Amino acid sequence: MIAHALPSGIWRRECLAEIRRSWRLPQFLVPTVLTPAAFYGLFTLAIDKAPSPDAAAASLAGYGVFAAIGPALFGFGAGVAMEREQGLIELKRVSPMPASAYVAAKLAAATVATAAAIGLIYLLAIVAGAALSPEQWMALALLHLASTIPFALIGIGVGMRMSGKGAVATANALFLGFAVLGGLWIPSAMLPGWMRGVGEFLPSYHLGQLARAIVGTDTIGSMTVHGALVLAMTGLASVWAWTGWRRSPA
Amino acid sequence: MMQDLAAVATLTAVSKRLGGKPVLDRLNLAIGAGEVTALLGPNGAGKTTSVSLLTGRLRADTGEARLFGLDPARPAARARMGVMLQAAGLPDVMTVAELVTLQSGYYRDARPVPETLAVAGLSDLAQRRCGALSGGQARRVHYALALCGRPDLLVLDEPTAAMDRASARGLWATVREAAADGAAVLMTTHDLAEADALADRVVVMDAGRIVADDTPAALRARAGGSVIRCRTILPPSRAAILPGVREACVDGAELRLVTADAVATVRTLLDADPALTDLRVHDASLEDAIASLLAADERIAA
Repeated sequence: MIAHALPSGIWRRECLAEIRRSWRLPQFLVPTVLTPAAFYGLFTLAIDKAPSPDAAAASLAGYGVFAAIGPALFGFGAGVAMEREQGLIELKRVSPMPASAYVAAKLAAATVATAAAIGLIYLLAIVAGAALSPEQWMALALLHLASTIPFALIGIGVGMRMSGKGAVATANALFLGFAVLGGLWIPSAMLPGWMRGVGEFLPSYHLGQLARAIVGTDTIGSMTVHGALVLAMTGLASVWAWTGWRRSPA
Repeated sequence: MMQDLAAVATLTAVSKRLGGKPVLDRLNLAIGAGEVTALLGPNGAGKTTSVSLLTGRLRADTGEARLFGLDPARPAARARMGVMLQAAGLPDVMTVAELVTLQSGYYRDARPVPETLAVAGLSDLAQRRCGALSGGQARRVHYALALCGRPDLLVLDEPTAAMDRASARGLWATVREAAADGAAVLMTTHDLAEADALADRVVVMDAGRIVADDTPAALRARAGGSVIRCRTILPPSRAAILPGVREACVDGAELRLVTADAVATVRTLLDADPALTDLRVHDASLEDAIASLLAADERIAA
């Protein structure tokens, strides 16, 4: 029987190509990378004239998750709708490249963009006096980077099912919903009960609570439950993205 | 149709509906190694759908598609196939060399990238970004992507549409070479001269079915004799009973006759309509053969 095996390294090369490609499209990346830092600077640092170091650190938790949502949902999630319309996915779909390599490449490039976005926020937080231990910084950075994954998968699922314009509009609505209802701008404890109730169904809420636990500010509920729910929601998001790839027209 | 042992890609009793309309109706098709197969037929005949099923872009409603013995939706089934799509785009910000290198990485036994670029006539454009290519150049990049992996099955959807003459001839030469090396080639085309020049086998489709499947020479022979074209007031029903005439139909503003005896037909034709103009007689071409097949198919359907 003939060998059907694919060469090794497809994933790695696909990821590097996607990162290089997004680097050359700064008009897509710059807004999603700068917006979270601008929001954080404006609402946390500028409005509160002399923010306490603790407050700077507390809101850092939520804004870091917020910074992961932008690139994940827009550039690398909803963006696949435009790639589909240009016939670029068609090109991949008839090639031997597995769908997983395509998704991995999107995740890798989105994570790099998230790294840039949270890097800016961390700098602002340090300027504002946020004092975290090296372990806390490390854990927070890992959590914020990992936050990219569920949102990118959600965005890819949207992009595979909708037109370019529809996907961008949907990503916008989701972006706001995840941020507000997940308690990333205003802590969930200060939100009306129904908003908190909706938030419990969103990965942004649970990621936000985990991040708050890392910086040592007040949290709601058990961290084990939050962690388990994040994993479960990421699993659902992968199914959503995968079925989108399978059924997407042409 | 018998399942050919050397077939690299098969559709078996495949039916497909798109948007509620039947596109393919229990179609059987086997693509053999070392053979150039041209898929011809009017728009909507089901050519592109057949290709989409074989390349894993669409799934059959009923029946089975197989690529190297596997489901075409599995990446491993596509490991030895190269596809040149008609309407696909290219990533604007990647250079030609980067894109071909990335695609070559999908295959185990890929050609060296410089060789692929040379074969596709892209050596001078290697560092150009895909977004800055002309339409014809972009077609050549698609061609390079199809052949970079030294595929055992090369699928070409309207390969020379939007290509200049020289590029098209270069492509033809490479396709012949690939088939001589044992690759199977499946192409769709509107250019019958292209099919005649390249194909070992012509499959004519109409309304989701195969109406003919033969060598170009055999199809030409089937149309037989000569083709007469002229402008006349004579209706096809009257022309059809003239001596030698096998087939009569209206083609645009002209009457088109296929005849086994051109001299006898022309003589009686001129008697029947002395005001007849623009008379031409030529040997039946592949185009005539296919026009006859499709006309016959339409009469059966009607």
